[in-house]
Amino acid sequence: MTAAAVILVAHIALLSLISFGGVPGVLPNLRNFVVIAHRWMTDQDFANCFAIVQALPGPNMILLMGFVGWKVGGLPAAIASAFASFAPSCALAYGAFRWWERVRASARQRRFRRGLVPITLGLIIAGGYVMARSSSGWAPAAVTLAAAAGAALRPRLSPLWFVTAGGALGACGLV
Amino acid sequence: MTVEKRRWLSDQEFPEILSFCQFLPGPNVVSITVCIGTKFRGIAGALAALFGFVLIPWTVGFAVGVVLLHYAYAAALYGALRGIAAAAAGLIIGTGVRLLLPQRRRPSALLFAALAFAGLAFVHLPLILVVAALIPLSIAAAGRESPPETA
Repeated sequence: MTAAAVILVAHIALLSLISFGGVPGVLPNLRNFVVIAHRWMTDQDFANCFAIVQALPGPNMILLMGFVGWKVGGLPAAIASAFASFAPSCALAYGAFRWWERVRASARQRRFRRGLVPITLGLIIAGGYVMARSSSGWAPAAVTLAAAAGAALRPRLSPLWFVTAGGALGACGLV
Repeated sequence: MTVEKRRWLSDQEFPEILSFCQFLPGPNVVSITVCIGTKFRGIAGALAALFGFVLIPWTVGFAVGVVLLHYAYAAALYGALRGIAAAAAGLIIGTGVRLLLPQRRRPSALLFAALAFAGLAFVHLPLILVVAALIPLSIAAAGRESPPETA
């Protein structure tokens, strides 16, 4: 792997350990790292990767890391990046789960949860916000707003409807 | 599937694992499979669950995606990707807001969510700084508002 790929993989492994609430929360950081700090890809490239993983089935955030790795260093970097995105957090999940089973329902656990939830949600919303900002104009903003309202008010409606509708509008040149 | 078809987990255990994994760092679905695997077979179960759940879908998705990325700047696909990205960003925001709603009576929760959001979205603080600074404060605040209950 190239030096750039090694730097990327190390960074993703770090993100894996601090991505509380899931990967969307670290999107702003990842975008800054690859687009602004290292200029490995353009903002549009990053947005394309983000869009594609939303349209494909499967573990989409691991795929996203794979595509970013692919852009930086080809297949080896893609595989290493994908692996780095979940291996550290999985090791942590394994250890934490055993601990959790022991302290289940204790007061400490409740407090921990109540404290962590707001932070993770703030991070997640920031992730969506930063990705929404990567395209400008009123049409993408309207699509974003509609999907946000849908997800907030109709949680049982499959997110695929919004993704498909956004894709169809975009393909017609409307977004 | 694990709950309804095979009855490996109870109706209560599954949501518990789910909510637990939402607080852990890392891709949620992966943590969930690891936890379920751990529950049955310890570390071997965790590894088996991981490879079954990640390896095959990832390989297929990656192959399709690389082809799509290659044509990403062709007009129709480019438009479609813009539309999808906009919708997906909205879904993330909407889900975050919906999950925050049950906390709306807790001023400290709203404050910490707002701080985390602003720190990343507007001030562009390093993520690790935001996480390391806010989580201990937030947990301390949560501890103050609800005196330790005996479980």
